[in-house]
Amino acid sequence: MPNLRISGLKVGYGRATVIENLALSVASGELVTVLGANGAGKTTLLNGIMGLAPPRAGSILMEDQELIGLRPEQLVALGVVLVPERRELFGNLTVEVNLRLGGYRTGAPSKSLDRIYSLFPILAERRRQKAATLSGGEQQMLAVGRALMSGPRLLMLDEPSIGLAPLIVQEILRVIGQLKADGLTIILVEQNARLALSMADRGYVLEVGRIVLEGPSGSLSADPRLSQAYLGGAADYAAARDQVYVD
Amino acid sequence: MLDTLSFLLIDGITNGAVYGLLALSLIVIYTVTRVVNIAQGEYVTLGALSFASALSGSFNLLSGLVAAGLAAFALRDVADKHLGASARIRVLLIRSAWIAGVLATAFAASRFPGSYWLAVLASLAATASLGTLTYRLTVEPVSGASPVVLLIVSVGVYMVLHGAAVLIWGAEPRSVPPVVEGGVSLGPVFIAYQSLWICGIAVLAMGGLYAFSERTLMGQALQATAVNRVGAQLCGIPVRLAGQLSFAIGAGFSALSGLLLAPLITANYDMGLPIGLKGFVAAALGGIVEYPTALIGVMLVGLTESFSAFQVSAFRDVIVFLMVIPILLWRNAVRPPEAHEH
Repeated sequence: MPNLRISGLKVGYGRATVIENLALSVASGELVTVLGANGAGKTTLLNGIMGLAPPRAGSILMEDQELIGLRPEQLVALGVVLVPERRELFGNLTVEVNLRLGGYRTGAPSKSLDRIYSLFPILAERRRQKAATLSGGEQQMLAVGRALMSGPRLLMLDEPSIGLAPLIVQEILRVIGQLKADGLTIILVEQNARLALSMADRGYVLEVGRIVLEGPSGSLSADPRLSQAYLGGAADYAAARDQVYVD
Repeated sequence: MLDTLSFLLIDGITNGAVYGLLALSLIVIYTVTRVVNIAQGEYVTLGALSFASALSGSFNLLSGLVAAGLAAFALRDVADKHLGASARIRVLLIRSAWIAGVLATAFAASRFPGSYWLAVLASLAATASLGTLTYRLTVEPVSGASPVVLLIVSVGVYMVLHGAAVLIWGAEPRSVPPVVEGGVSLGPVFIAYQSLWICGIAVLAMGGLYAFSERTLMGQALQATAVNRVGAQLCGIPVRLAGQLSFAIGAGFSALSGLLLAPLITANYDMGLPIGLKGFVAAALGGIVEYPTALIGVMLVGLTESFSAFQVSAFRDVIVFLMVIPILLWRNAVRPPEAHEH
């Protein structure tokens, strides 16, 4: 059962360090949300775990196995799977082929395919269509479905609600709720804090690469510092401006 | 007049079939790895020369070198500290079988000189494996580099392979027998059986590649890697393996065209480059990404070549390579280059 423990994590691109000395843990079967404003480093954190942006320091342990240094395909084989914000679908391949490729490691058995189709019936209707012709919401469902095809044990979702109509968001959330009920361990990265906290067991709030707040969803929702973290830059700016005027 | 015309047509189509195999090689390699492979023609040379030496009963030195290279990478991969015990054994078994295959076909071909299909097998095993070695040695270490860097690397590979061909086989051209001697007369026109073989095998190979990439999960994974590398990684597709596979297919197809063409023009160390570059001109019509357009391109190049050879033979290559200018202008008009794809 996945039990993820991250400590001292440092991830960046090129010369820039985006997150530094980050600690985070996820218990088995837990839904943990990572919140924060744009540019806080949420996506970088997920890319670091997934090996797409190889971490420069720290440790990521899953059941005492070190994940740093593994290639993405090795992580997928261990059950660590990411649904990226950009979805990264294969636009000119059909819905069904996209899903089958999600199950590449396991030979894409039709049993898992049927499960995805029962989870997202609209994908079954669109199975012969090219992925690029789907609507944004359907593409998001396809991205989640493709990730589920590999039989994940730790599912990471990067802003699954972004840019989608409320009705579609409801649909995606329904499935996430169902996966959680089935006992899947999930990390949900969101900008929509209220939405995420309504589902999550616990949450972390990220601000410019550091965790500034963490705790159970209930107490986080009530914490005034949560909205401050989102408006953090603006608050600093306001304080600085006031100071200038006072001077 | 009519018989000249039909002779030139058949000649052009045969050329087109050869360039077709080249164009497919270039496209498979470019779409999966972003390498514009200048060295592509060298696999034509090495395929033809390996084939010639296997047919004459001497052990193909290239097979030995390739086996040694494969063994070196196998040792490195088996020693990977992230591998589990069962995965380690699997890697060891697969690699051993692979190396044994390359050596066994080479030995068998040298034991039975003159057996045509054994020599074909030995030549293809050596060159396709050389393709994977080229990928691991020269592309993998700089994967993620810009296409220009990858292009320059392939120029270096061209120089090395070109030199290696001279070192191993010398500068003397070797004559190679056709699959079947003779030909068939259609009225006033004589068609060599070899031309028919070339066209037939080219069509088979293309059909095989199409079936592989449409019908098998591994073929689809190769397409997926070409479409979206990050997406492929997230699906657990080993993109390094996809890169190796694309180079194996590319090298194998080019070698196939070399050993089929050798009976018509003799096998020699210098045969590859012009063929490779003409494959490029044809593939450029499809932006080195579209198979169907590239196939129109190869027929265009093949026919232009045979007709210009007849009219103004001294300018044959000039005319063929000049075609790249209208092709690029046309391409630019139909499909303007995107600013920069992700």
